[in-house]
Amino acid sequence: MASYYDEHDCEPDDSGVHRNLDLLQFARMLVENSDMLDFDLDLDFDGFTLPGERRAPPASIAVVQALPSIEISAKQVQMGKKCPVCLLEFDIHEKAKQLPCQHQFHSGCILPWLKKTNSCPVCRHELLTDDPDYEEYRKQKEKSKEKEARVESLHNSMYT
Amino acid sequence: MSNIAAARIQREFKEVVKCDEAAKCAIKVEMVDSDCMELRGEIAGPPDTPYEGGNFILEIKIPETYPFNPPKVRFVTKIWHPNISSKTGAICLDILKDQWAAAMTLRTVLLSLQALLAAAEPDDPQDAVVAKQYKEDPQAFEDTARHWAQVYAQAPCNNPGCSAKVNQLVDMGFTETASREALSMHSWDVEKAVEYLMS
Repeated sequence: MASYYDEHDCEPDDSGVHRNLDLLQFARMLVENSDMLDFDLDLDFDGFTLPGERRAPPASIAVVQALPSIEISAKQVQMGKKCPVCLLEFDIHEKAKQLPCQHQFHSGCILPWLKKTNSCPVCRHELLTDDPDYEEYRKQKEKSKEKEARVESLHNSMYT
Repeated sequence: MSNIAAARIQREFKEVVKCDEAAKCAIKVEMVDSDCMELRGEIAGPPDTPYEGGNFILEIKIPETYPFNPPKVRFVTKIWHPNISSKTGAICLDILKDQWAAAMTLRTVLLSLQALLAAAEPDDPQDAVVAKQYKEDPQAFEDTARHWAQVYAQAPCNNPGCSAKVNQLVDMGFTETASREALSMHSWDVEKAVEYLMS
């Protein structure tokens, strides 16, 4: 390392402060001059998630493949039942995909959605995913919810 | 624009025009261009809030991938609210980001925004200055929000004090918008606002 500083005729700076400042300046330069560079600096933070709010992954491929297809009945057509994604009324005898929460969709409407995220577009009922991290996170969340409910019921039983 | 997006917007458009809330003049949607990529929304300020009597205009841009991705919505009418940028009108609302669901519609989005006006989420702010005021000085927040609704959203006037202070700074040579912003940021403390404008 010493030779690096000798070669460049400078002293090692271990305070860290200057380096951070340099980085800050560099970041500012990138932001301010982004129009001069030949790429667009994407400052849209839509894809950015904070800890605690994570974007759900796609539904498990096996679960999606196993979704039952049902036939739309005359009664449902009479009631003007619509696919919640395209908002078109179903035709009689038309096939629809049914989620475990009983909500029904055109397969061309629900499949692209489940490739993006694992929940029902109507009620947010979650399907399994193929993402082990997300499944772990979901388990933890459920556990902490259960714990909260237990504390709440204990509290209620003590004060009633 | 892809077929499903355009066809769905057409159907939703009819839904909003026919809905009960439209009849009560609480929400409204208009087409801006013929291919439905861009719409103009309007929501009425909810009763018993500082926004009551105001009419707020929204810019709604429909992505090609709609309804699998949410519409991009922004306030065109300037508004003082913890979850809406007082400078750009950008909105911080979960359903317009990661909590979007394909079964939501223009109608439910507009109603959600109206609900957001009635119930701010100061712990998930878009505008940090407004959120801080909302938490630390609720009276100043309410006065400011009401004043902005009156100036920018045609709500009825009921706080001449704010306007008088804005005029006081305008007489000193500052622009009206800058004066209003400085006063709003400093909870209507004229001295602090002047100091801010001079710095």
